[in-house]
Amino acid sequence: MKRKLITLLAAVTALALLAGCGKAENGQTAASSPKQELVYATVKDINDMNPHLYPGSMPAQGMVYESLVENTPEGIKPLLAESWTISEDGTVYTFQLRQGVVFHDGEPFNAEAVKQNIDAVQHNAVKHSWIKLSTKIVDTKAVDEYTFQMTLSEPYYPALLELSMTRPYVFLSPKNFIHGETKDGVNGYNGTGPYRLIEHQTDQYAIFEANPDYWNGAPKIKQITAKVLPTGETTYLALQKGEVNFVFTDDRGTDSIDTEAMDRLIAAGDYQVVRSEPMNTKVIVANSSKAGSPAQEKAVREAIWHAIDRESIARQIFSGKETPAETLFSANVNYADIGLKTRAYDLEAAAQLLDDAGWNVSDGGTRTKDDKPLSMELYYDAASISQKTQAELIQNTVKGLGMELKLIGEDSSSIANRRAAGTYDLLFNQTWGLAYDPQSTVSAFTSESSYYHATSGIAQAEQLYDKINRVMATTTEDQRKSLYTDILTIVHDEAVFIPVTNGNLTIVAPSGLQGIGFKQTQFELPFENMFFE
Amino acid sequence: MGGFILKRSLLAVPLLIIISFLTFALNNLSPLDPAEVVLRAQGVPQVTEALLMETKAALGMDRPFLIRYFDWLTSCFRLEFGNSYITGTAVWALLGPAFMNTLKLTMVSVIAILAFSVGLGVLCALQEGRLLDRSIRGISFFLTSMPSAWLAAMMIWYFSVKLDWLPTSGMDSWASYILPVIVLTVSYAGIYFRLVRSSMLSQLHEDYTLYARACGLQESKITLMMLKNSMQVATSVFCMAVPIILGSTVVVESIFAWPGLGTLTVNSILGRDFPVIQAYVLLLAVSFVLFNTLSDLINAALDPKLRKEF
Repeated sequence: MKRKLITLLAAVTALALLAGCGKAENGQTAASSPKQELVYATVKDINDMNPHLYPGSMPAQGMVYESLVENTPEGIKPLLAESWTISEDGTVYTFQLRQGVVFHDGEPFNAEAVKQNIDAVQHNAVKHSWIKLSTKIVDTKAVDEYTFQMTLSEPYYPALLELSMTRPYVFLSPKNFIHGETKDGVNGYNGTGPYRLIEHQTDQYAIFEANPDYWNGAPKIKQITAKVLPTGETTYLALQKGEVNFVFTDDRGTDSIDTEAMDRLIAAGDYQVVRSEPMNTKVIVANSSKAGSPAQEKAVREAIWHAIDRESIARQIFSGKETPAETLFSANVNYADIGLKTRAYDLEAAAQLLDDAGWNVSDGGTRTKDDKPLSMELYYDAASISQKTQAELIQNTVKGLGMELKLIGEDSSSIANRRAAGTYDLLFNQTWGLAYDPQSTVSAFTSESSYYHATSGIAQAEQLYDKINRVMATTTEDQRKSLYTDILTIVHDEAVFIPVTNGNLTIVAPSGLQGIGFKQTQFELPFENMFFE
Repeated sequence: MGGFILKRSLLAVPLLIIISFLTFALNNLSPLDPAEVVLRAQGVPQVTEALLMETKAALGMDRPFLIRYFDWLTSCFRLEFGNSYITGTAVWALLGPAFMNTLKLTMVSVIAILAFSVGLGVLCALQEGRLLDRSIRGISFFLTSMPSAWLAAMMIWYFSVKLDWLPTSGMDSWASYILPVIVLTVSYAGIYFRLVRSSMLSQLHEDYTLYARACGLQESKITLMMLKNSMQVATSVFCMAVPIILGSTVVVESIFAWPGLGTLTVNSILGRDFPVIQAYVLLLAVSFVLFNTLSDLINAALDPKLRKEF
C-alpha cells in the first residue's frame, strides 16, 4: 500500500510540475505575431556598440548610427550630408550637413559633432589603418554650423565610399565621449539612426525602439529585438513558436538555420525567404611567390580553376544558397562587369594545360616535372564544414588529374597568419564584400598582411601594383574604369584568385512583412523600410 | 575537528597555485602572438605590424612571462582578472553575472538531482529485483544514454512548440528553469541514483540491518538508518556534482540560450578571449577544490575515524 502511495505521489508531483508551468510570456505563434515588431535571432550578443571600435554587431550598429553619405546601387547618395563638393585637385571635401538632425539624447547634429567624431577616429589611426581614408585625412574643420570640411593628403577616390561604411566614420553623440575620445570606450550609444538602443541584457537580448524624431520619418516597425540564440535547432523551434520571427545571415555569412528548416517554415505558410544579389566571392588563393611551389606556375593554377565543379558545390554543398562564381568579383560589383573569359569545369582542358607545362604522369599516377611531384597544401578553416567538404571534393577531382592536394584544417587566425607570412600553396578566403569591393580587396593585393604573396610572383606584378596605386588617386570615372579593367584582367589571366561561389545574404521573415531589402553591404539591413501589410 | 579543518584547507592553497600557473602557462603556450589574438578578437579587419607593436606595448605583453604571471596572480586575489580582449570590460563584470546565472541553474538542478537520486535509489533498493526496480533502472538507463542536446531539442519541441506551455529558451521567468533543469536532472540523476541504490543494498545485507529486523524495529526506522549510513559514501559524490554540473552546462546553456558560464566560455574560446578563459578555468578549479574539501570535511564530521587518519 505504502509503495503504491509513493508511486502515486511521484506521478502527481511530475504532473503538477508540468501543468503548473502555465503559458509562456512570449507564447504567440508566428501567424499572430504582434504587428510592427520584429524579434531576430543572433548567434552572438550585440556586444560593445561603440561605433568607432570593432567588437560590436554590425547589423545592430547599422540601426543606431549613420554616416555622412550612403552607398546605393546607383552610387553614393546623401544621408547626413545633403550635398558635397570636392576640390579640383581631389583633396578637399566640403559637406553641407542636413539641418534639424538630433542625436538620440537630444544633442544637435552639426559640423562640430562631425569634426569631433572624425577626430576621435583619427586619434586611433593605427587601429583603423585597414580603411585607407584614415591614412589620408590630414585636417578636419567645422566651417560653420552645418558645413564640414575634410582635407586629404592626396586624392583618394574611394573616400566617399569609405565614409559610407557601417564603421568607423559614423556619428555618436559627443556627450557619450569619455575625455573627448572614443578609443578607450564610451558612456552611451546615442546615434542619429532610425532606431535607438533602449535595453541590453548581455548574452540574452537587446531591444531597439523606433526613433520618433528620426529626420527621415519614424520607422513603421516600432520595436526590434535581437535575441541571442547560439544554436540553430533552438532558433528553428523558436521561429516555429513565434518567439523569434526574423532571421538573417550573420556577419560571417553563416545561416542561422539550414535550408531544410527554411523550406519547412515556408511550407507552413508563416514565413518567406528573401535572398540578396551576390555579396562576396569565396575563392581559393594561390601563392604565386612561394619558392618551389607548383602554385607559382600559371598553368597549374589554371588547371585547378578548370578542375572545380562549381555547379555541384553550389547545389550540393551549399544546397543552392550560393551560386557558382566565374570571376573574382560578380558583375554587380562596381567596375567588375568587364566580360572576362570564363574557365569552365573541364578536366580535359586541365589535363592539357598540365601536359603542355611539362607535368607528365609518372608510373604512380602522380604528375612530376624534373622529378618533383605535383603536390600542394590547401589550407581551410577547420571551423567551416563547407570549406572542408569543398576541399575534399576538389582533392578527389584533381587526384584524377595526377595532382596531389594535402588538406590542412586550421583556425581562421592561423590561416590569416599564413596569408600574411606567405607560408601556403593554396588557401580558402573570400572577398571583402559588396561595399568594400573592388577597392578594399584590390588594395589588399599590395598589402604585406594580406594578398601580397599571392600577387607578387606573377609576371606583371609591378604593373599591377602601379595600376592599383594609380586607381586609388583617380579623379575621373573613365580613368577608374580603364584601370580597374586592367587590374582585374591581370589577376584573372594569372588565375591567382580561383573563384568558387558567390555568397549572398538570406532573410527569413514573416510572410506579411513588406519592404524587405538589402543594403550595398552584407553587414546590415534597412529595417527602417520594412512594414507589415 | 578545528585542526582538521585548518590542515585540510591549507592543503588546498598550493594546489590552487599550481592550477593557476598551469592555466596561465597553457594560454601563453598558444603558437599565436597574443597581441594578434587580441586584435582579431576585437574584430579589427586588418592586422598590421604597427598595430601589433602598439597593442603589445599597451597590454604589457613585452614583459617577461613570470612577471606577467605574478602580476596576474596577485590581481586575482583582488578578484581582478584583467580585461576582456574583445570588449575591454573587466573580466569579473562578464564572469560574475554569468557565474550567478549558471549557479542558479546548477543549484536548482542539484536539488532536483538529489531528490530524484535519493528517492528513486531508496525505492529501487527496497524493491530490489522487482518490476518497479527493473522498470526504473531500465527507463533511467534509456534516458541517461540519450544525448542531452537531442533530449533538450525534443523537450522544447514538445513542451514549448507543440503544447505551448513553456518558453523555448532564455532566462525570463521561473518557467525558463523547467526544461533545462529537467535535462540536467535526467542526465545526472540516472547516474547518481544507481550509487544510492547500490550503497543502500550493501547496507541491506549488513548484520545490523538483520539485527534490527530481528528485534522487530519498524521498517521505516531501519530504512532511515540505512540511508544515513549509505549517505556517507554518496556525500563526496554529491559534493563533487556541484562543480561538475557547474562546468558541464555548455550544451544545455547553448541550446536553451542560458546566459551562463557555458555560453560565455564557448564565446570566449571562439573569440580567443584568454583573460576570460583563464578566469573561468581558475574559477572552476577553485570550486572543485572547495567542494572536494567540503566533502572531506562532511565525511570527517560523520566519521571521526577519518579525522585521525589524516
